[in-house]
Amino acid sequence: MNYIQVGHPLLTLVPADHNLQLEKLGEGTYATVYKVGRSRTTNEIVALKEIHLDAEEGTPSTAIREISLMKELKHVNIVRLHDVIHTETKLVLIFEYCEQDLKKYMDQHGDRGALDPNTVRSFMYQLLKGTAFCHENQVLHRDLKPQNLLINRKGELKLGDFGLARAFGVPVNTFSNEVVTLWYRAPDVLLGSRTYSTSIDVWSCGCIFAEMISGSPLFRGRDNQDQLLHIMRIIGTPSDAQFQKIVKETPELQIKQFPRYAKMPFQQVLPKASPQAIDLLEKLLKFDPAERISAADALSHPYFTTAVASTPFGLNTSPATMPPPSFNFPHPHGHQAQQQYQQQPQPQQQQQGQIPSHMHPYSRPPVPIYNQHPQNTDPMTAAAAQSRAHAQAIAQAQAQAQAQAQAQYGQFPPPYSHAPPR
Amino acid sequence: MSSILYPLASLSQIEKTPSMEDGIPQDLEEDLRAYGCKLIHQAGILLKQKQVAVAAAQILFQRFWFVTSMKQFGVGDIGMGALYLASKLEECPIRMRDLINVYDLLLQRSAHSLTSKPEADFHYHPMTYFGSTFYDLKDALVVAEMQILKRLGFNVHVVLPYGTLVSYMQVLGLAGREDACERAWGYLNDAHQTPVYALYQIPTIVCAAIFLTARHLQIPLPSKPPVCWWELFDANWEDLWSVSGYIMRLYRKRTPEERRRVLGLVSKKDVRKWLDENQADLV
Repeated sequence: MNYIQVGHPLLTLVPADHNLQLEKLGEGTYATVYKVGRSRTTNEIVALKEIHLDAEEGTPSTAIREISLMKELKHVNIVRLHDVIHTETKLVLIFEYCEQDLKKYMDQHGDRGALDPNTVRSFMYQLLKGTAFCHENQVLHRDLKPQNLLINRKGELKLGDFGLARAFGVPVNTFSNEVVTLWYRAPDVLLGSRTYSTSIDVWSCGCIFAEMISGSPLFRGRDNQDQLLHIMRIIGTPSDAQFQKIVKETPELQIKQFPRYAKMPFQQVLPKASPQAIDLLEKLLKFDPAERISAADALSHPYFTTAVASTPFGLNTSPATMPPPSFNFPHPHGHQAQQQYQQQPQPQQQQQGQIPSHMHPYSRPPVPIYNQHPQNTDPMTAAAAQSRAHAQAIAQAQAQAQAQAQAQYGQFPPPYSHAPPR
Repeated sequence: MSSILYPLASLSQIEKTPSMEDGIPQDLEEDLRAYGCKLIHQAGILLKQKQVAVAAAQILFQRFWFVTSMKQFGVGDIGMGALYLASKLEECPIRMRDLINVYDLLLQRSAHSLTSKPEADFHYHPMTYFGSTFYDLKDALVVAEMQILKRLGFNVHVVLPYGTLVSYMQVLGLAGREDACERAWGYLNDAHQTPVYALYQIPTIVCAAIFLTARHLQIPLPSKPPVCWWELFDANWEDLWSVSGYIMRLYRKRTPEERRRVLGLVSKKDVRKWLDENQADLV
């Protein structure tokens, strides 16, 4: 093996769109992300993440982790790092471009944040698939949360932001305890674990699962201690025997006296969830890390493998597929549903440039079910309502097309099952 | 299995390292590598840094000299950068100022050893508040860290040998022999001063450490073909022998001239000067 350069030689970049030259996508603590260009070699739109090099700290460790780990992780459900450009004052990371993150997606497409059961199932499958791939390659993500999951216009979900990730192997060292955003942090980490492993990502997956179903984060603590109490109020305080077992396996844990909470049935917390979804959630959100299901095993849970999803309110009849892409961009797997769909006329508004946020060109038209909802509090403007009516017409056509598509697929998992196993 | 492997130098990089291409003799390069690693080790002890970070720094340091010549960067600067980088990677970061102070002390000490004055006469002169030493070292540190990352293509994944040693000793029934464990552990640490961690995978290096231990302590292990204990751990004889050779060469007696030569070549400036003076003789 050679010491190789990162990625392939510098991509030639050309502006993605002449009107939008430097669109700022987001600004983090240490980097700014731009949607800039289209690679001349691959014709893909890419996102650039600029990392400013600080003379006080040298190269940020988040950048070191992100580059050293992501360049090895090539998977459909992980944001691809194409290349790294290195100058004296900054590092520029060239990433695959994704339209939005899961948080924004839920805000825009959800019913008060809650996604419809089929979308939840599809996203959850992809989330676990990406996570399982990381674990298989001995990488812990350590910061899974909706803001770090990116969704592209094909409805593909990708794990991003590996700034806290690390490789693990034969344990020779303890890990940092300050990992994972509080609300998604596993109880063993909250108790002070430094020898945690893949199960901490699984916990975060469980939290995200519940959040997609209900529309709001499941455990919203203010600090470490409060977060633990929030968790125990729902999944119950472990018994003394359970605590003893956990401490025996992880001696560095600090167990204090906790109030005794009984376990609350998840059905009560998440009335919208199907029994199979609840069963999976139970397995993901185990207090004892040793009992938590692995991401790979979760993928073969009946929630994913059963052909027909039971929809709790019996309204949603749309098939178990990803929302197909909206407008006329070439789809690499162009199946019948999309081909039909592309023949639909585009709403006039789209071509004017000024697009209301909820009608982002890549967004999914609202599914009829939400319009029937009497308590729709989604703030809609009059103009938007008009376009929405238009979109609804499209959505109906889409539902038809989807029905045909389902006849083709028959079974779950839907289109992304073309993903290579590695 | 593939993910616990790490990158190794290629055959052409081993046959002719960048330093050799610049005319630095092989034995001098070996000694400078070892000295740079000793400085990393000493700095680690003074900073009370964890051994995992020190060992990882030494591995990165060794890898670096397969892609860069000592004429371009000094072993002092790169060692400092490697320790700073490895401390970040192993999640036990150190402060730049502390690292710079410690390296300043170590460099002054090696400069003192070059003079004829006795060891006991060494007095550390702290950096002056208005002097440029601190800023020069700091610049060198930031550059060194970045150059290591860049030239290694961010391949900073390292695997340490200690866990593997423990399990091999258990398999061989030697875990109870304290003298054997200690000695093998010591060989693994000393091996960090040689390039072996950039040349062979962990099982081979661990087998070599156990092999040297067994020879020195006269512990009988099945070593006659077709029954050779190291084959149990997927090591082959030639590699094992080569690693043992690298380690034993460390303990070779050096002449006073050889020692002084190394002490005086910690910076790239000194290396360049030495090359100018000696190039004619070498050709």
